[in-house]
Amino acid sequence: MNYYQGSVSRRNFLKTTSVIGGGIVAAGMPLSSAIWAAEGKVLTAASTNDITKMDPQFYTAVSEVSVMECLYSKLTRFKPGSEWGWELEAAEKLEQVDPTHVRFRLKKGIKFTGDYGELTAKDVKFSFERGIKHNSPVKDNWGSLDHVEIEDDYTGVIVLKTPFMPLFNIAFPYAVGHIVSEAAVMKATKDGGDFGMKPPAFSGPYVLAEYKPNQHLLLTRNPEWAGSKPGFDEIRVVLIGDTKTAERAYQAGDIDFTGITLDSLAKFKSNPPADTKIEGHPSLNYHWIGMNVDHPKLKDINVRKAIQWAINVPQILEAAFAGQAEVATGTIPPGLLGHREKALVPPEGDLEKAKEFLETAGVSDLNLTIDCLNESLFLTIAQTVQAQLSQIGITVEINAQDAGSFWTLGMESEGDRWKDMQLTVMWFSNLPDPFYATGSFLQSRVGIWNWERFRSERFDELSAKGVTISDPNERAKIYQEMQDLMEESGAYRFLTHGGNPVMYRTTHTQAVTRPDGYPLYVDFKAV
Amino acid sequence: MMSVEAIRPEANDATAVGAFRTFWGQFRKNRLGMLGAVLVVLIAAIAIFAPLIVTHDPIRIMVGPRLAAPSLDFLLGTDQLGRDTFSRTILGSRIPLFVAFASLGSSLAVGLVLGLIAGFGPRWLDNLLLLFFDTIRSFPSIIFALALIALLGPSLASVILVIAITSMPIYARVVRTQTEGLRNSEYIAAERSMGAGTTRILAVHILPNVLGPLVILVSMDVPAVIAVEAGLSFLGMGVRPPTPDWGAILNDGYSYIDQTPWLVFAGGVPIVLATLGFTFLGEALREIFDPKLRKDL
Repeated sequence: MNYYQGSVSRRNFLKTTSVIGGGIVAAGMPLSSAIWAAEGKVLTAASTNDITKMDPQFYTAVSEVSVMECLYSKLTRFKPGSEWGWELEAAEKLEQVDPTHVRFRLKKGIKFTGDYGELTAKDVKFSFERGIKHNSPVKDNWGSLDHVEIEDDYTGVIVLKTPFMPLFNIAFPYAVGHIVSEAAVMKATKDGGDFGMKPPAFSGPYVLAEYKPNQHLLLTRNPEWAGSKPGFDEIRVVLIGDTKTAERAYQAGDIDFTGITLDSLAKFKSNPPADTKIEGHPSLNYHWIGMNVDHPKLKDINVRKAIQWAINVPQILEAAFAGQAEVATGTIPPGLLGHREKALVPPEGDLEKAKEFLETAGVSDLNLTIDCLNESLFLTIAQTVQAQLSQIGITVEINAQDAGSFWTLGMESEGDRWKDMQLTVMWFSNLPDPFYATGSFLQSRVGIWNWERFRSERFDELSAKGVTISDPNERAKIYQEMQDLMEESGAYRFLTHGGNPVMYRTTHTQAVTRPDGYPLYVDFKAV
Repeated sequence: MMSVEAIRPEANDATAVGAFRTFWGQFRKNRLGMLGAVLVVLIAAIAIFAPLIVTHDPIRIMVGPRLAAPSLDFLLGTDQLGRDTFSRTILGSRIPLFVAFASLGSSLAVGLVLGLIAGFGPRWLDNLLLLFFDTIRSFPSIIFALALIALLGPSLASVILVIAITSMPIYARVVRTQTEGLRNSEYIAAERSMGAGTTRILAVHILPNVLGPLVILVSMDVPAVIAVEAGLSFLGMGVRPPTPDWGAILNDGYSYIDQTPWLVFAGGVPIVLATLGFTFLGEALREIFDPKLRKDL
């Protein structure tokens, strides 16, 4: 990778362009094609979430996974389109031998860059086991993985301790399913641990050519890639923290693909920018107001319930999502197994009931803080909650923080800030398996992603059972009960699943996404 | 750096009224200065009487009329939370002015004292204080502000502290230079020989002579402080929501510029007018008090 800072002076620019121009004329190339050849086909896309990890076993956000999909191979991948499903990628064959054994056979000829040789079953074993070995914060994505047995260079068997239903919907086609080179990672890290933003080798259609923190990532074609050729020579992923800002950048012509806010969807649909296609996608993400049950001010469940009942969800959705989003009943969206028809607390809440809970708690003149991302959407949610809680006499101070600061707030590994955390405006991305929408709230995840510090033995039992049952109805009931437990704890006020509309420049690309709107850059076609 | 004639108060035979008449005579000839003064007085009056001018509760959320266009009900429309933009803009005038006066006032006070000490004190103390001023000044002010706010957390107090710390060395250096120039003048030597103490010399003879340039400097710094405060609030590092503030209104306006341009006007125009007003006023004061710029000299 190159980390460089270039400088172009006017004099140098003129000198260089005159030399190139002379060369072009001498070569007899038409100017337009020469420019195209010089520039290559470049896709510029906005990532509205921060990107801080390129190590699949330590990923933190869906935006990182969208880039990883360009850099590494995995056994399977999500199918593009509007229906959730998966298809083979690096695996030639994938066979469920029994509930705890899955045999894979790799395609031959997938090469790692940097002379690290061919992708083999040994790399699969190394990749899949290292997250657990190094206690990754996302090791739960592997569920009950025990080990991987190698049968030959291309064949192996994934051995689970107990059946793990999400293996095919989460582990294989998503982040942790990416295969890295054992030799390269061991050489780079010595112990096989987290390599952060410095991938030592690539096995996908692109390589990471440049990374500038908080600015952009540049992906260029992997010269050793033998698979089908992706549409663009380069992909530039521009890191833009606020989706509204990304919309402005798109309108200014700086980017070709971006997610847009639901708030702006109607406006863009009625008056789209030139040569632009707007696509609406249902989102699996979930937004909620979290309450840290370990904080002295929120220890009393009556205080938490008062907050739950004081929050009017439709009002928040009207203010923050222009009324374009539906109320969520829990963490699992409609259409997915385990979705609840309705929440225990009605969406509108009830101020009188909220005041009663506060009286029961014997609390008055309560001052709380609410932490949120410093983005217009989350600030709007926080301000609406602030106004709503003032109606029951709770004063709320808003702490808006940048992504880097916010997303480490509740992590015990990042300091003691979690002790001061009270209310948070939260959102998580999601995958088409209910385990993913509930797995972050296990007791073992307290201080990792369980920032509410919610603890329930019953919840953990149900989670362990839920991943082993194949009957969809029985499984659905388990996840519904788990969401009931979350809500009964008073630590959560579920808001919405939002939506993931996107827009792209049709004169430049034909975008391809997952059913929930997240980009599959490798499949983008150049126009 | 501007230079100001050392004036020995006892030697100055002009009365205060006479001095003011002279000043006013020169000031009113400066059209931009007059315009600046009018703007500053107007903005100050709006800030003082804001609660009497606002038409709605500026923090009351009304989801119904969100992002509404200007109307008789909402003179400048509403923001994304349905709050009245006119009321927020009017009340928002208080924050920049308060930040400007609080931060510059405190930095002026500290800078004055430290500058006097540096200029009149022993050489080693002068060197030590100069090192201290230069250390603070060596940090790029915006980076320093962002780092300090990241450390302290975004709040009004943090903004005031940041501006006060970064402005102080400038005032202190000016005072130090003026003091150093005056300490060896004949009339100070005469005062010393007559038995005047350091405190009397500083308070009665030196302070009046260094205050003039400082006042001009401060008036020139007010627009910069307003812009910094608005910038920090624009970045979400200033006052916390829902407190109305021009920078925060401008940030909201930026996010929703496609849906309503009024928020940008409501946040941006007052910032422009306030900075222009203070700049014109400061320039006019400088022209009058700085002998090098005096046209009648």
